[in-house]
Amino acid sequence: MVTREDILKIAKLSKLSVDENEIEQITKDMSEIIGFADTINSAVEDEDVEFDDINDIVNAFHEDVVVDSYDREEILKNRSGGENGYFMIKRRKVK
Amino acid sequence: MSWEMVAGLETHVELSTKTKIFCQCTTEFGGEPNTHCCPVCIGLPGTLPKLNKAVVEYAVKAGLATNCKIRKISKMDRKNYVYPDLPKAYQISQYDKPLCEQGFITLSSGKNINITRIHIEEDAGKLVHERGDVYVDYNRGGVPLIEIVSEPDIRSIEEAIEYIEKLRLTMKYIGVSDVKMQEGSLRCDVNISVRKKGDEKFGTRTEIKNMNSLNFISKAMEYEFNRQIDILESGGEIEQETRRYNSDLNITESMRGKEDADDYRYFRDPDLVTISILDEEIQKYKESLPELPGEKLARFIDEMGLSQDDAELLTKYKKVAEYFEKASDNVENKKITANYMLGSIFRRLSTDTEKEECNIPIPPEFLNELVILTEKKKINSSMARNVLEQMLDTGKPAKSFITEKDMEGIDEDALRSICEKAIESNEKAAIQYLDGKEKAIGAIMGYIMRETKGRADAVLAKELVKQIINDKYK
Amino acid sequence: MERTFSKIKHIKKLFETKQVSCTELTSEYLDRIEEENKVLNAYIRITGEEALQTAKKVDEKIARGESLMPLEGIPMSLKDNISTNGIETTCGSNILKGYVPIYDATVWNILKNQNAVLLGKTNMDEFAMGSSCETSCFGGALNPHDTRHVAGGSSGGAASSVAGNIAVYGLGSDTGGSVRQPASFCGLVGLKPTYGTVSRYGLIAYASSLDQIGPIASCVEDAACIYDSISVYDSNDATSRGSRSKTSDKLDRSIKGMKIGVAKEFFDGIREDIKKSIEKAIKVYEDLGAEIVYFNMPQIKNVLPVYYIIACAEASSNLGRYDGIRYGYKSELYSDVNDMICKTRSEGFGKEVQRRIMLGTYVLSAGYYDAYYKKAQKLRGSIIRAFKSAFESCDVLLAPTVPTTAFELNFTSKDPIETYLTDICTVSANIAGLPALSIPCGFDDKGLPIGMQLIADSFEDAKILNAAYQYEQQMNGEIYKHCNGGEII
Repeated sequence: MVTREDILKIAKLSKLSVDENEIEQITKDMSEIIGFADTINSAVEDEDVEFDDINDIVNAFHEDVVVDSYDREEILKNRSGGENGYFMIKRRKVK
Repeated sequence: MSWEMVAGLETHVELSTKTKIFCQCTTEFGGEPNTHCCPVCIGLPGTLPKLNKAVVEYAVKAGLATNCKIRKISKMDRKNYVYPDLPKAYQISQYDKPLCEQGFITLSSGKNINITRIHIEEDAGKLVHERGDVYVDYNRGGVPLIEIVSEPDIRSIEEAIEYIEKLRLTMKYIGVSDVKMQEGSLRCDVNISVRKKGDEKFGTRTEIKNMNSLNFISKAMEYEFNRQIDILESGGEIEQETRRYNSDLNITESMRGKEDADDYRYFRDPDLVTISILDEEIQKYKESLPELPGEKLARFIDEMGLSQDDAELLTKYKKVAEYFEKASDNVENKKITANYMLGSIFRRLSTDTEKEECNIPIPPEFLNELVILTEKKKINSSMARNVLEQMLDTGKPAKSFITEKDMEGIDEDALRSICEKAIESNEKAAIQYLDGKEKAIGAIMGYIMRETKGRADAVLAKELVKQIINDKYK
Repeated sequence: MERTFSKIKHIKKLFETKQVSCTELTSEYLDRIEEENKVLNAYIRITGEEALQTAKKVDEKIARGESLMPLEGIPMSLKDNISTNGIETTCGSNILKGYVPIYDATVWNILKNQNAVLLGKTNMDEFAMGSSCETSCFGGALNPHDTRHVAGGSSGGAASSVAGNIAVYGLGSDTGGSVRQPASFCGLVGLKPTYGTVSRYGLIAYASSLDQIGPIASCVEDAACIYDSISVYDSNDATSRGSRSKTSDKLDRSIKGMKIGVAKEFFDGIREDIKKSIEKAIKVYEDLGAEIVYFNMPQIKNVLPVYYIIACAEASSNLGRYDGIRYGYKSELYSDVNDMICKTRSEGFGKEVQRRIMLGTYVLSAGYYDAYYKKAQKLRGSIIRAFKSAFESCDVLLAPTVPTTAFELNFTSKDPIETYLTDICTVSANIAGLPALSIPCGFDDKGLPIGMQLIADSFEDAKILNAAYQYEQQMNGEIYKHCNGGEII
């Protein structure tokens, strides 16, 4: 059973703001989905081993050799708010 | 009843690999904001991390140098939390399978501070707060770190500081980090609690986050130790919380309480694959390690005949130790070299950084030559000190300040007659000396040194003067 | 007019014999897109100018008498979660509107180097979370067989573009069936390759351990040809392995004696007419000399919850980065940084995405991790082992692709769980990292296509392509129905 408090907690962790008038519906939906997910708890796994790598790959490394970084204009391309080469979050007040 | 401190440290050390942990951008310190970045380290959608091989190597070396066991099968996990300096909203770190475990550092008292684990992870970017605006620079984002977690074995500020210094020196010696605290390449979180002396049980602890100066760490620990005692003595309870040190006010202040503690939702990073380290590789890394500070200290004492204090001062800085060893090459009595290093030379390296860098104006070969000249009694020690000062001033070798005549020295007979002459000219002083004024002999010695232009062996001259006075006036 | 099977090969021949130029063909496609896309909504961005530039390059090569690479000059589409340098890539989400990648996904880089003609980016469920394309912030993509029905999801736009004949092929991505299900709904061939054979670098992640890029094509030979081009090892993706060998030269192999496994559990809750269609296909395989092996696989009943737990857990972490700071949508009214991030995400993500992020956060959070995420990972292990043991006694498995044919519009918005249940047949291959392919095997009484699925052991992609090709040849075109405008050449 998912509670209203659970929803508020996971919303906070997920960085989602939940509207007061939506909480009830979300709680109901999540309860149903969690109930569905719960069905696995009656399932018996054949061994007590956790799944590991899907294709048993080990040791995929990059060499310690410097490659040129991107031009800063490229890095900041999707943020017009960038100032002096920084990404920037402007102080703003809620109207 | 007195109180006892119980502390454990989490030390973050930035590794000095050339490239970041998951991409090939440079790790160079500084640079214009966001110029050491690529799609991977700013977390653009669709990008994937790839682990730097050198990070594993450096971390394993750090583990071996701190007596850790190396985990042969390891993996990377995601630590999820949202903060503007963390572009993916998770830090790739290691949770339940760190690369290194169960090591220790031995303090000079012989006590071991146990190391629980060493794991690898990525650094975050840098935030600059200005007039309510927040500026973000991701140059540091993705620089490799190791986090070294100690057991709560520390019982005093002195132990904490020595532990950090030992750790720092070890990392420096094995070349895995620059460990420059002012650049933030070594940072500490301190977990601290107090208990009544003799108690078994630990008290409730607080965690002081992110300090990058030994001075701040010791001040913060002192403040926090006293704060906790005050609370307990006035009948209060310690709240388990995260605190920060405010250096302006010299206090620790609460950042967030236990109820606000993050739920990091660790899980294995599906973008990265298992890390497997072979025994042969571990062996290879072990063999590649240089002599460690502890080993060097022991050798300086046992084989070079230095005192504990001198040996500690000389091994405290890697470059200084190396300089000393070169300067003592073929020297019979290495204490002479040590005395010059810790005297004239250390006077000129006044700060820690200067000692760290070991910026001595003359190469170790020059000092070595001077020491050998002294040892072979070609010149006497007071002259040698004088010459050393001139060498340090000019960067020139000893021979530039010593003539052939200087090196001839003065034989004992000649010295004896100079001494006699000196006593005759300073009869008053001689009498004062006989009356028990030891210092009066200085005037006579001064005369001798002037006369011989400093070539006289001061120790021998003093002996002779005393002998002559005693013979003459008694 | 008859629609030729080996479409890519056919077009290449037209180029080489100079019956049609790449520019003519590309313009033809662009004209048709302008017409058809108004209805189908398959494309959410059309890259006509770039397409014509590439076409010109190809024509110059043809004029110089140079030979062409396998996919050179073929007009195609990319799902909008595949990053394209300089071309807006939104993942069907408001939160990425206006986002222009500064690098190319590896698959697109490969195709670009082959002078593939990109017509545009195709519609998809937001962040690939959906089965109907209707969670897209651009509205759903429609099924060219009947526009009262959806094209499927999440690669609905890709399937709609191919079935609607406004792309020769499309690349989609498949996390729980997102290539195979729309291929099934639109009467096409959809391949989800073995995990690790196609690089994920540049594919905007939904669930990293399940995501795989795959082709949606109008025949098996095209799918094999595309797969061969894109299944290359990529050093940018630590989980990349590349493929074992080329598949397109193995299609002609006889499947006499091939063991085809049929697990009873895959047919539970499947619509009767679909079961019948698949039974007919089984007969065809018997006629072709294959041996049918019936067996039980009880682990199948766990696959859906296991899939949703793992996919949502990974998604909750993968989607954390959309915080408004570096790219994409940013809320304008906020009190502080944390508030900015929360508002950006709540305003930018659609309902289904928010639901899955919250579910993922829940199953990973303290106190629930063991009961959900850890348990699911253990069950994932048992499912993988069950498939491994199945492949000890058979070469490929045969199953339905979807329990139904294409949904009517707005079917999926009613009940999330009912929608999740329709993924029952497809998610296993993702959980176990196996190659799986959907190929049409008939039509329902409304004339909507029915698909069947072939699954093989890891890195045996060639086996299912070969088995599908043999079936396709045997059916002599009966399984394909042409819709929307006929032959374009």
